[in-house]
Amino acid sequence: MNRIAQSVLTVFVLLMFGFLSPGYGQAVSRGTAGTKVGLAAKPSLPLSLPLKEGSVRFAIMGDTGTGSKQQQQLADLMRQYRDAFPFEFVLMMGDNLYGSETPADYKKKFQDVYQRLLDDKVKFYATLGNHDQPNERFYEYFNMNGKEYYRFSEGNAAFYSLNSNYMDKKQLQWLESELAKDTADWKIAFFHHPPYSSGGKHGSDKQLREVVEPMFLKYGVNVVLAGHEHFYERLKPQKGIYYFISGAGGKLREGDVNERSPLTDKFYDTDMSFMLVEIVKGDMHFQVISRTGETVDSGVLANQKKKP
Amino acid sequence: MKPKLSLHAAFVAAVVIICFATTMLSTTKAQEKVVKQITAAEEPVVSPADKETIKRYQDRVKEYVSLRSSLKAKAPKLAKDSTPEQIQAAETALVTLLRTSRAGAKPGDIFSPDIARYIRTTLKREFKPEEKKEIRKVVLENETNIPVTLKVNYPYPDPKEFVEMPATLLLKLPTLPKEVKYRYVKRTLLLVDADNNMIVDYMIDALP
Repeated sequence: MNRIAQSVLTVFVLLMFGFLSPGYGQAVSRGTAGTKVGLAAKPSLPLSLPLKEGSVRFAIMGDTGTGSKQQQQLADLMRQYRDAFPFEFVLMMGDNLYGSETPADYKKKFQDVYQRLLDDKVKFYATLGNHDQPNERFYEYFNMNGKEYYRFSEGNAAFYSLNSNYMDKKQLQWLESELAKDTADWKIAFFHHPPYSSGGKHGSDKQLREVVEPMFLKYGVNVVLAGHEHFYERLKPQKGIYYFISGAGGKLREGDVNERSPLTDKFYDTDMSFMLVEIVKGDMHFQVISRTGETVDSGVLANQKKKP
Repeated sequence: MKPKLSLHAAFVAAVVIICFATTMLSTTKAQEKVVKQITAAEEPVVSPADKETIKRYQDRVKEYVSLRSSLKAKAPKLAKDSTPEQIQAAETALVTLLRTSRAGAKPGDIFSPDIARYIRTTLKREFKPEEKKEIRKVVLENETNIPVTLKVNYPYPDPKEFVEMPATLLLKLPTLPKEVKYRYVKRTLLLVDADNNMIVDYMIDALP
């Protein structure tokens, strides 16, 4: 019994000091952006996604454009995950570049960080955040085709990138005309400002919600993705629509989520993170991975049309 | 026997067709465009005098856009897959051309007193107190005590993060062509170039 107790105690002590932490290259504190952190995790790559043939696979990240070491660590982890889960494209939730936007900044804050994914021909589809200059829409690697708002489709999903900085009548008219004729099984809107949020710094963008939500409801938008808040949050379905915030791709606002918010289903605000998504017919599988390789949320959402 | 069956079948078919057609008609009527509903609810009531004020304002904006178009033809073109160097070159070239051509431009050239008065009055009138609070929360979210210098023909203050334009407020303002946008810096409403954030004009005290 003594020996068993000793063994248990030894294991416990070793775990406490991180030597047995699964998937860690070095035992370090989880840290937050700006603090001393060691290497990004060499994950054992736990995957919560089904990897079905013919599925639509993509990653989501937001508020990335810092050029920081932590942003790079997250990007490296995304690249590692791509070996296990070959996603074809990445949705960017805006604030793609912070601060100045000289050619050197594009290189430092985006291209160098994601070069390995770019080399793998992964496409990045961006939306404009409140820190973004409008001419980012011409940047070759953001695939915005010179437009502030645009639509593209992959498999049975249609994606709408909107400019939530400037939701004027023209954009609303465009959106309505596109949604009205869209027969895709999944309609996914992504833009910077979240209509629903449990964040303390920003919170729900009620002004925006007032003009976009009626249209989303009328035309059957299934999922809304946003950034702006520097954390991850999965909100409870709002009037049947699924909402996510993925805004911790380059910045973190630790502890910003109001834990008592009635809106939240799951959140993670102690480290940076990104999402992986796989759409298999009427199911949307998702997995949220932190900068240190931990799966902080995962699940599957049924297409609202499929539900009884 | 057969004719009776045929008559009966025809009668049933006719009833079905009529019911279907009625349903389709009422559904089509109900499918009123959402944007129409939103904008109808949001657009302000405008008097004939205000209509004239707005038209003169929009004409001045069109003059700027016309000048801009002619100058843009002389600047490098941006393709949809441009490099950062090309983006920077195009932005710099256009701003330089505009600044030279508009050397005498000053605040109030486009936001003349009559349109400024209309905008202030409309924004004050059209929003309930709680809506005004929400708008101010969006616009003033990142306000600091650091003074911001605004200059016509110069870019929107670079290190300052761009403020979102509250969607419902946008619907109250006179519409603009796509080459220009409204922006707020604190309580000042700006007219900026959509491509490079150069300040075309501004008016103070424009927050409801």
